[in-house]
Amino acid sequence: MSTQNDGLVDRIGNVGRQAIGNGWTTERFALLGLLALVVVSVGPQFQVYLFTEFLIIALFAVAFNLLYGYTGLLSFGHAMFFGAGAYGLAIVLRDYQSAIAEIVGTGLAPLATFVVGGIAGVALALLIAIPVGYLSVRLEEIYFALITLAFGMLFYSLLLQDPYGLTNGSDGIFVALGGVELGGTEFRLAGRRIYYYITATVVTISIYGIWRIVNSPFGTICKALRESPDRAAALGINVSVHRWMTFIVSALFVSIAGVLIAGFSSVATPNEAHWSMSATPVVATVIGGASYFGGPIVGAFLYHYVRWGISRFPALEAYWELFFGIMLIVVVLYFKQGAAGGLAMVGAWLRNVQAAYDRGGANAATAFVRESIGEKLGSMMSRSTTGRSDDGGTDR
Amino acid sequence: MTTVLRTEELRKQFGDLVATDDVSLEFDDQHVTSIIGPNGAGKTTFYNLLTGVLQPTSGEIWLRKDGDMTEITDAEPHEVARSGLSRSYQITNIFEGLTVRENLQVARIAHEGRTFDMRSRPDADEELNEEIDDLMELTNLTEIAETKCDTLSHGEKRNVEIALALAIEPSVFLLDEPTAGMNPTETEEIVSLIRELNRDIDATFIVTEHDMGVVTDISDRIVVLAEGAVLADGEPEAVLSDERVTEAYLGSETV
Repeated sequence: MSTQNDGLVDRIGNVGRQAIGNGWTTERFALLGLLALVVVSVGPQFQVYLFTEFLIIALFAVAFNLLYGYTGLLSFGHAMFFGAGAYGLAIVLRDYQSAIAEIVGTGLAPLATFVVGGIAGVALALLIAIPVGYLSVRLEEIYFALITLAFGMLFYSLLLQDPYGLTNGSDGIFVALGGVELGGTEFRLAGRRIYYYITATVVTISIYGIWRIVNSPFGTICKALRESPDRAAALGINVSVHRWMTFIVSALFVSIAGVLIAGFSSVATPNEAHWSMSATPVVATVIGGASYFGGPIVGAFLYHYVRWGISRFPALEAYWELFFGIMLIVVVLYFKQGAAGGLAMVGAWLRNVQAAYDRGGANAATAFVRESIGEKLGSMMSRSTTGRSDDGGTDR
Repeated sequence: MTTVLRTEELRKQFGDLVATDDVSLEFDDQHVTSIIGPNGAGKTTFYNLLTGVLQPTSGEIWLRKDGDMTEITDAEPHEVARSGLSRSYQITNIFEGLTVRENLQVARIAHEGRTFDMRSRPDADEELNEEIDDLMELTNLTEIAETKCDTLSHGEKRNVEIALALAIEPSVFLLDEPTAGMNPTETEEIVSLIRELNRDIDATFIVTEHDMGVVTDISDRIVVLAEGAVLADGEPEAVLSDERVTEAYLGSETV
């Protein structure tokens, strides 16, 4: 027992040293991320609300990128699983809250219903992902994108047409998370700060789970499939089964984000499953950088906050898509690795400036800055005439 | 001497074109066999049939697996690989965006049947990485272990190509033009590597090669394909002095 404890303490100590020691390690990024989560929780109510939505989009995009950036399959139908999560929660909440209350008592019922509804949302996504994934992974590239788009629209129209009287058509289902009474304390699940704590916890655990998966043998095989499926097959890997599994895992994490969005916006509507919702993680991932684990998070942040920033100017709000268009064009033309890649480039450049300063003081540093900027501008000019350059894909 | 791979009247037609014409061959566990032939002779089609990439029009393929001959005619590529038949590619086909070590991790994970393991971490797996270190030692990759493959030289990539195929511990090892695009020094290195491997590991080697120097250097047996059919089959000296072979290679021109 004691050795096990020592092992755990050692491991925690090790992570701690990595986090506060020299260098920008993964542990340091994780620590800063957690600190940011805590800092936000004491911010103004509206900022907490805005940040909660960003976290949900970030999980959506990271889960999507397991299939896109890591496995090389661009799905245009992931809103299907986002919607499945949302409707799973909404239906359980509407139809089974009183049944659950009878079992666990009225005090705990809202929390229990939320958990059961969440599980139902994930289960519904699983039920859809198994056959849809099985049929879709047989195709690649544009055909894969198109078939997932088609399945997504099929699901959307089922929600909208509501043939079985389950989904309440275009109005959707109202999602009312009640108040929990527990040993004298009382809190509303939908309260902005409470819901932020729930979201932050679930998103952190989910993203950590995806991080473990991409760094596991399973994730290593995913990257191999992205690079060369026929070579992977020649090494004994069943390409379609592995893609299928990845599709399902990705869908499950997306559905968790879907459950969270229903609780967040207090309603589940067909919009959650519309193809334009499928575009959200695509845009966030491309802006952020698909080859970085954190790329979709950076992208979701930009996507969400730029949109909010634009919405503060009523004159511009109608044109917010125009701004995204411009942003996308700039990223696709000049930052193939997205914003995360751009940040990494700036980081490397700053380290080079520092190195130049260490070597020859301020003059050397200024000279280096002048030279490197000149070079960059020169290469940009030539790039715009010769097509885009490849600054090298990496997994980080 | 045991037969490890056998084809029976293996035939592949694309429309009217017969790419593989009733090829019946046996390969035993002791000799290095070279399959040669002019461009378009059907070498690559033959490899693609053996590895399950293409389905034959007719005929059968049998592979020794766990001591018994097993039919693999209809097996898919991953099933063929799992049965112990591994290949390298003429046009380098490696995981370019990954490091050399990650490339070999892929192969070892596949070989150990751990492709669905979502819990462990390959980078922290000492046993896995020790095996990979040994393999890299053997194939001269140790120094570039942590380098991403898309930055390697052509010769280094060719080594990764062979190391990948080797990592799944095949019983039959198909090398498709291992010296393709290599300079004389690199060719020399690959030839000595193949010799070394043939001595050290318990696998049957089948090689296609256009460099006649390499062919005579490494093979115990030569099979000549022409227009999809077996033209000659036997010991190197006998096959290379065969008039029909010279003719097939040089057409109407004379030496």
